[in-house]
Formats: sequence, C-alpha cells, structure tokens
Amino acid sequence: MATYSLANERLRALEDIEREIGAILQNAGTVILELSKEKTNERLLDRQAAAFTASVQHVEAELSGQIRYLTQVATGQPHEGSSYSSRKDCQMALKRVDYARLKLSDVARTCEQMLEN
Amino acid sequence: MAQQRALPQSKETLLQSYNKRLKDDVKSVMDNFTEIIKSAKIEDETQVSRATQGEQDNYEMHVRAANIVRAGESLMKLVSDLKQFLILNDFPSVNEAIDQRNQQLRALQEECDRKLIALRDEVSIDLYELEEEYYSSRYR
Repeated sequence: MATYSLANERLRALEDIEREIGAILQNAGTVILELSKEKTNERLLDRQAAAFTASVQHVEAELSGQIRYLTQVATGQPHEGSSYSSRKDCQMALKRVDYARLKLSDVARTCEQMLEN
Repeated sequence: MAQQRALPQSKETLLQSYNKRLKDDVKSVMDNFTEIIKSAKIEDETQVSRATQGEQDNYEMHVRAANIVRAGESLMKLVSDLKQFLILNDFPSVNEAIDQRNQQLRALQEECDRKLIALRDEVSIDLYELEEEYYSSRYR
C-alpha cells in the first residue's frame, strides 16, 4: 500500500538501524567469545571484527543523515493539518447508506406481511 | 535545496543534542571494544602478580562490556527519539499522509453516493409498480 510510503520509508530505515545496533552488540560478543577460546578461528574473528566496524560506521552514517534531514525539514511549528472534514463527509455517506438499508428492510418487511395476509 | 530556516532554539538544541549523543555513543562502543581487545593481550612482565593482573583484567573487561551495552541501549533510545521527532516534525511526509487519507475517504464517499443513486433509480422503478398495485387494490 503506497499510502504512507514516504513516512514509512524513513521509519523503516530507522527500524533497520535498530536491528543493526543489535547485530553490532552480537558481533562484539562473538569476537570476544572467539578470543577467549584456546584455539581461535582467525578467519571468523576477522570477519566478525570487520562486520562490527562496518556496522558501527553504517549506523553512524545513517543516523547522521536522518538528523541532517530533520534539521533541514523541521520548522518548530506544530502541524495543524487534519483529515477531519473528509472523515466526517465519509461518515455521513456511510450513515446515508445505513439509513437507506434500514428503510429498504422496512419496505421488504411490509411487503412480506401483506403477502402473508 | 531551500535555505535552512531559522529553527527555534529548543528544536536546534534538541537536534544538536541528538548529534552529540550519536557521536558519544559510537565513540564509547568503539573505544571500549578496542580496549577489551587490547587487554586480552597476555604480557610476560606485569607489575603485580599474574593472579592480580588477571583479576584486574577480568573486572576491566566486565566494566567495558557493560559500557558497550549501555552505549547500545542509549543508541536505541536515540533511534526511538528520532522516530518520534520524525513523526511529529517531518512535514512533507505528514502532508502526503494527510492528502492520501483525504483521497481515500473522498473516494469511499463518492462510491457510496454513486451506489445510493443507482439504488434510488432501481427502487423508484419498483416503487412505481408497488404503488400501482396498491392503489388498484382493495387495501388503499
């Protein structure tokens, strides 16, 4: 659904960053655990350490970008737009439909009663 | 890109604080991780006995690991604050969201009215026949 695509893109990016922060801590723990072993797997160690460093730099770059965007876009004023008027119009339209359905069911009931009699 | 508008002091201070928190937390993670790796190095000559040095290193690693976790949690809080700030202050996306919502609701309203008008036309034909039947019956 493309309804909130623009807002969701940035929020989704921030959620990815949250996951990446978890991965950073995971990588750090793996590296230290690997170092604590008697026989270390050097390739795994290098890979995890590289992943840790890359993730930290990526998180920093992404968050800096988001803060830079907010500095450009924020006005400090509260947003006063709303969708209230169209919501009210839609609500009235749905009420009209309900009313029409009610009246039709009355007519149908009357016709059935007349047929029974 | 448009010139940067003058933000109110509070918003500008807030965004600067976000930057500072980001830099501090990232620095904390990197520094503490580097220090843990450094202290894992086994040295032949120590100023205190090996057991004492081991205990000290153990304690230092615990503290540094706790610092890394604290910095990670602080980063998560920062992301949460940024999400909140984004939702409240990212006017382009808020405007687009409101426009999309208005369009959806207007489309639904127009469809309801269109179907009601079609229903009215159909029912008026049936009502005409019902009226004819009723007024030509003995029940009128």
